[in-house]
Amino acid sequence: MILLAALVLGLAVGLGMARLRGQPYQLPDLRHLWLVFLAFLPQFAILYIPALREQVPDRWAGIFLTASQAFLLGFAWLNRKLPGMMALLVGAALNFLVMTANGGFMPINPQTASRLVPQEVLEEIPIGSRFGLKDILLDPQDTRFEILADRFLPPAWSSYQVAFSLGDVFLAVGVFWLLIQPSKNSTEPKRILI
Amino acid sequence: MKNKINSLVLSVSKINREHIQVFLVVLSLAMFVLGVGAPDDGGYGSR
Repeated sequence: MILLAALVLGLAVGLGMARLRGQPYQLPDLRHLWLVFLAFLPQFAILYIPALREQVPDRWAGIFLTASQAFLLGFAWLNRKLPGMMALLVGAALNFLVMTANGGFMPINPQTASRLVPQEVLEEIPIGSRFGLKDILLDPQDTRFEILADRFLPPAWSSYQVAFSLGDVFLAVGVFWLLIQPSKNSTEPKRILI
Repeated sequence: MKNKINSLVLSVSKINREHIQVFLVVLSLAMFVLGVGAPDDGGYGSR
């Protein structure tokens, strides 16, 4: 949700800035969009479709997630010259590193998880089990690259609680930056799905 | 009349193409950040 919020905010600010300048808004000239579809659709199937999510063993889900993220990293690398894309690339690489090192899932420690679900629910989830969509509940001492895990939280008084990683911060900044910057080669025709 | 219809068809097809381009780019970016991002609000519980 926070990443989609950054995307929507970036789009709104970009449109507003273009309007202030009296120019048409130029979307980033992204190439190789097919890679995103190819990489994300299997991930969507095993994470967001409950019937498939229940059927795919965790080990295979971790492998699918890792492969999917590798393709998405490739997409970011191919578009690395766009403004903001370097932050997206760094964020994607940090999440890829910590998730690959922890069986394909993003580690979250019980203390952080306790801010997201009621204590009685958390007590029923064994350490080492999947938590949420992409996370795995792990003690900090058993987590590789713990500093890159889902360990950040909004203030306790906030009504919306979400755990996020350092990589997620880079991703939010990157997508916002990408969408507020006008495309430099706006005279060239945009390529879609090439 | 024929010219008017042609110009109308041309502008409608241009609008559609631009809309599709915007939709594809925004959708791709959404899929990208959802694909590489891993924030968790605990909404899906455990399995």
